[in-house]
Amino acid sequence: MTQALTSDQAAVLVDPDENRGGTGTTRFVLTKIAEALASILLVIVLGFLLFRLLPGDPVAFMVRERPTDPAQIAELRDRLGIDKPLLTQFWDYFTGLFRGDFGTSYIERRPVLDMIGERLWPTVLLVGSATVLAVALGLWLGIRAAWKRDSFFDRAQTGIALTLWSVPQFWLGLLLLVVTGGLFPSRGMHSPDAGPGFFAQGLDVLHHLVLPCVTLLAVFYAQYMLVMRSSLLGEMNADYLTTARAKGLRDDLVRRRHAVPNALLPTVTLVFMQFGMVVSGAVTVEAVFSWPGLGQLTYDALHGPDLPVLQGVFVVLASAVVLMNLLAELLYRVLDPRVRTA
Amino acid sequence: MRIKHVRRGVNRAIAVLAAGTMAILPLAGTATAQQPAQPKVLRVALTTGIDHLNPFTASLAASTQVGRFIYEFLTIPSADKAEASPALAESWTTSPDKLTWTFKIRKGVKWSDGQPVTAKDAAFTFQRMLDDETARTANGNYVANFQSVAAPDDTTLVIKTKAVQATMDLLDVPIVPEHIWAPIKDLNDPKTDDLSVVGVSDGPYQLTEYKQNEYVKFKANTAYWRGAPKVDELQLLVFKDVEAAVNALKQGEVDVINRLTPTQFDALKGQPNIATNQAPGRRYNEININFGVEDVNNKPIGNGNPVLKDLRLRQAIAQSIDTKTIVDKVMGGYGQLGGGVIPPIYSAYHWDPSPAEARKFDLAAANKTLDDAGYAKGADGIRVAPGGARLELRLTGHANRAFDQRTAQYVAGWLQQIGISVKQELVSDEELNDRTTAGNYDLAISGYATNPDPDYALALHTCAARPNAEGKGATTDTFFCDPAYDGFYKQQLTDTDPATRAGYVKQAQARLYSQAVNVVLDYDNALEAYRSDKFSGFQTQPQPQGSILEQTGYWGVYGAVPAGTETAAADAGGSNTVLWIVLGVVVVVVLVGGGIMIGRRGKAADDRE
Amino acid sequence: MTAPATAAAETPRAIAWRRRRAGIARTWHEFAAQKAALAGFVLLVLTVLLALLLPVISDSDGLDVTKATGHPLSPPDGQFWLGTDIDGRSVLLLTMWGTRISLLVGFAATVLSVLIGTVIGIAAAHFGGWISTILLRFTDFFLVLPSLVLAIALSAVLPQGIWTIVLAIGVTAWPSTARLVRAQTLTIESRPYIERSRALGGGHLHVVGKHVLPGVAPLVLANTTLVVGNSIIADATLSFLGVGDPTSITWGAMLETALNNGAVSRGAWWNLLPPGIAIVLVVLFFTLVGRGLETVLNPRLKGQHS
Repeated sequence: MTQALTSDQAAVLVDPDENRGGTGTTRFVLTKIAEALASILLVIVLGFLLFRLLPGDPVAFMVRERPTDPAQIAELRDRLGIDKPLLTQFWDYFTGLFRGDFGTSYIERRPVLDMIGERLWPTVLLVGSATVLAVALGLWLGIRAAWKRDSFFDRAQTGIALTLWSVPQFWLGLLLLVVTGGLFPSRGMHSPDAGPGFFAQGLDVLHHLVLPCVTLLAVFYAQYMLVMRSSLLGEMNADYLTTARAKGLRDDLVRRRHAVPNALLPTVTLVFMQFGMVVSGAVTVEAVFSWPGLGQLTYDALHGPDLPVLQGVFVVLASAVVLMNLLAELLYRVLDPRVRTA
Repeated sequence: MRIKHVRRGVNRAIAVLAAGTMAILPLAGTATAQQPAQPKVLRVALTTGIDHLNPFTASLAASTQVGRFIYEFLTIPSADKAEASPALAESWTTSPDKLTWTFKIRKGVKWSDGQPVTAKDAAFTFQRMLDDETARTANGNYVANFQSVAAPDDTTLVIKTKAVQATMDLLDVPIVPEHIWAPIKDLNDPKTDDLSVVGVSDGPYQLTEYKQNEYVKFKANTAYWRGAPKVDELQLLVFKDVEAAVNALKQGEVDVINRLTPTQFDALKGQPNIATNQAPGRRYNEININFGVEDVNNKPIGNGNPVLKDLRLRQAIAQSIDTKTIVDKVMGGYGQLGGGVIPPIYSAYHWDPSPAEARKFDLAAANKTLDDAGYAKGADGIRVAPGGARLELRLTGHANRAFDQRTAQYVAGWLQQIGISVKQELVSDEELNDRTTAGNYDLAISGYATNPDPDYALALHTCAARPNAEGKGATTDTFFCDPAYDGFYKQQLTDTDPATRAGYVKQAQARLYSQAVNVVLDYDNALEAYRSDKFSGFQTQPQPQGSILEQTGYWGVYGAVPAGTETAAADAGGSNTVLWIVLGVVVVVVLVGGGIMIGRRGKAADDRE
Repeated sequence: MTAPATAAAETPRAIAWRRRRAGIARTWHEFAAQKAALAGFVLLVLTVLLALLLPVISDSDGLDVTKATGHPLSPPDGQFWLGTDIDGRSVLLLTMWGTRISLLVGFAATVLSVLIGTVIGIAAAHFGGWISTILLRFTDFFLVLPSLVLAIALSAVLPQGIWTIVLAIGVTAWPSTARLVRAQTLTIESRPYIERSRALGGGHLHVVGKHVLPGVAPLVLANTTLVVGNSIIADATLSFLGVGDPTSITWGAMLETALNNGAVSRGAWWNLLPPGIAIVLVVLFFTLVGRGLETVLNPRLKGQHS
């Protein structure tokens, strides 16, 4: 629920001061990577501790409503290793991660990594397409709004964006589902009746993607738009623009050649920063539209609760966000001329 | 000026969009009409998850159901009475000591790859479960008691058990083909969920496609020994949201749906082309009152409020819970009023309190009882027990069950009116299980699904069912331990005369009722709905008033008959897809085009400025 | 305004207060000049007043399911302007009462998160050295964590109730505040008068309490209003996911009850729209006020918002 609605906030969020230092590029990159690894380690520890706090006996949960004899229960306890000391358990879990062993689901009794693996691509598709569209729409509207500052277009767009930004996603999703009444499929990612062949399958997936993607997009584009607008307004006060205009360049040209490229930076970096928020949004949207991704897995696991799965999803999502963030910082270094020359 | 331009652009966009739609609609119509004999597809909405298709490891209810569609069993519960009836086994006999069971296997049944189904396949299935721990994951309890399994010839299966086993004539274990499964060493291998393995079957349907977390597709097994199903294809579609599933039924995206809430059921009732099915359930819902519960060694266990040891207080509480309102409002009228712990579908054993015994909902009388018993009301309206303790009780239940959420509010409201303050503590299923088995509750919303034989439901309230000192090993529901009750329980167990046995069963329930250790609120109904314009003939279990989907068998879906010619039109969903995609593309193109147009005009305006 | 004679007699404290008052008045004028922000502010005040006055102007008996008088899910009519819910209670009454706990959750979570954020932000900027590095790493770590996933985990682990929700939102929403506060603190501490204050023997407590805190307070206030909005949405989202408190009367719980019981299938829009719209409006009010405040208080943004 990290928010940034102005370029200034965005700058504070994405602009680590270390970037301004005069360290060499190699050292900078290595430091950043080391920091990201430390963060991931912290994620693993946090995830482990968080889900050990939960009261309740997982074995009692696993065998409930099915007749089980004591030997089976003992076997299960042993397999889960829940009678070992906490530190041993952590070490087992930690080393397990490197072997690709994220534990076994309490409910489905399958390896957690398999479950996450098969849910990964639908989420990547949904989050990816929603992000790309939201950024495109946000940038486009933001530029137009800034350029026509205080016009009807600007006011209307800002108003619409702020309103949509205030909407709970699951609610918007349900409304869309009811309002569009059958225009688009209400569940899943594939229709069992879609014909074979790449083209038909692709169209089918796109058709299913419309509603969840629009729901995500509607809420998230606002941020990119408002940051782009505010960042561009900041640029437009800059002296060089006045000079450019004074030279007689057309507004259009000034905008495209000078102001926009400079204003893009905070917005683009924000995209990476906001990845975690979009992923969070996907949880509710996937639940509404039965989209078979990680969000839905989280939603299902929450109702068990299926702790190993929740833990696995937490570690995977948080690590992904840490990596995206690392990418953002490296990208920032590449893109920002001030930093590059420093 | 600019505003006008924008509006004009939007208007134009709408006009183009409308024209586009008009142009495409007829095309789509003809496309549908031209398609010849569509396969008749039955689509079932699935609102619970599937873990495995491998019948040895498939534990979730929906996965078990998949197993029932594709594999045949030795015997299955009949559609009409849910009693053991022949399936792969034509007949069966038992030895006088009831330890040796001999099944006569049907001849002429074939696996979908053409191999014959023999007693050897059945023997292999059970032997694998005896030898391989993983094979016992789903149904291990059925073989825990097995001594040996043998197939002396292709039509004879002999099973010897170590002790008498009541479930021998209804072993709920899918029989798998030996030639497919024997070479598989590791049953945890994800490949055991592949079509190459589970696609070879002998049930009414055969798997054709499985998209994890999305859908399962089957085709009719035309060589099925009972006769080919009337539908060509069966699909199970996963829905995470029941509301979305109801929406899909209305739109014709699915044909059958279950687990409806009363409101959804009401909303679907009377809708054109939709039929509803209400089946009395096997489950009772109750509120347990912690009367000072003890473990199996009669040592107190848990942290229940000691004031509840007073029978008068418990009776006052029981009298303040209006089960009729619960049925009418929380269950929307779809449930039967609670009485004993055996639901009314098992009419022989069901017990209702006589008018003289029954506690009538009466807040005034409950208040008077408490006044007389010395629970004086404090300044804030909350009563104080004679010892000085305020009457503050915790009420626990399932956090994610709508029934519990709403019932808790009603009970809290009523008890407030008799001077008892209630703290609602709704928790996860796992924690609720922990709290109730350890006696850590005052009031708990609970419930159990019962069996046709009353033994199971009655055993939940015997002394022996209580947990050990660590709070483990419990099979109790209420922690009830009462010599009179246990006496009736033992008598019904040994009495062979049905009528006298039923008498004891009822006496036991009456005794439980009189002690006010729980309040049976109601008996659930299974609420289902289907597209009557497309299908009919769903066989319920039991009959006449059973459920279509929630049954121990394949009857409901196997019996489905497509409703004549309409099915072709009903299947238009597939071609509609194309229409909507085209529409979607048109919308995108128009919007983008419109945007560019607006942009142009804006630009022109800018230049003019 | 003040006569020179009195000014001369003023203590430094009084001068500071006078300046502060003048500052606030100026800020208010600039704020009020923004129509959208002013409208948001007025509406927000009205909402809060409504929430506070509810026990006086309406009867809380209507919230008790056992005393509900309406039919379940009946559409809006003369008696129930927004229809009834599944238990026959007035949706209008529930929506109004929902304001109380929804705002409470929003404010409480915000206070918690802003408190954590401010303390960590100031500490990270003020102390420097390894403390700063560690705090900064810590903040960055929490900043990138998918906060909803963390909040879900926390709510799954802790007992259900509104304070769990408050905690879950509070401990996940603070990093952006910390970042903002840190940046602002660095700016303030680089000013010459801080140097002088230190030279004159002002300790950490003095510098932070007298100079830094008043300096960052405006920005924190602006940030707070944005966080409240987010907290209300987070509360609704957690309710939807089934880890909220279904027995309390919040907009999120109302939506959850409606969804769990089939209000969508029934077409009972009057159960879905009022709580949802209430969320959108209140969050929008907070956002408008927050943006307005920020425009006034943050010199770099001056004149950017219209």
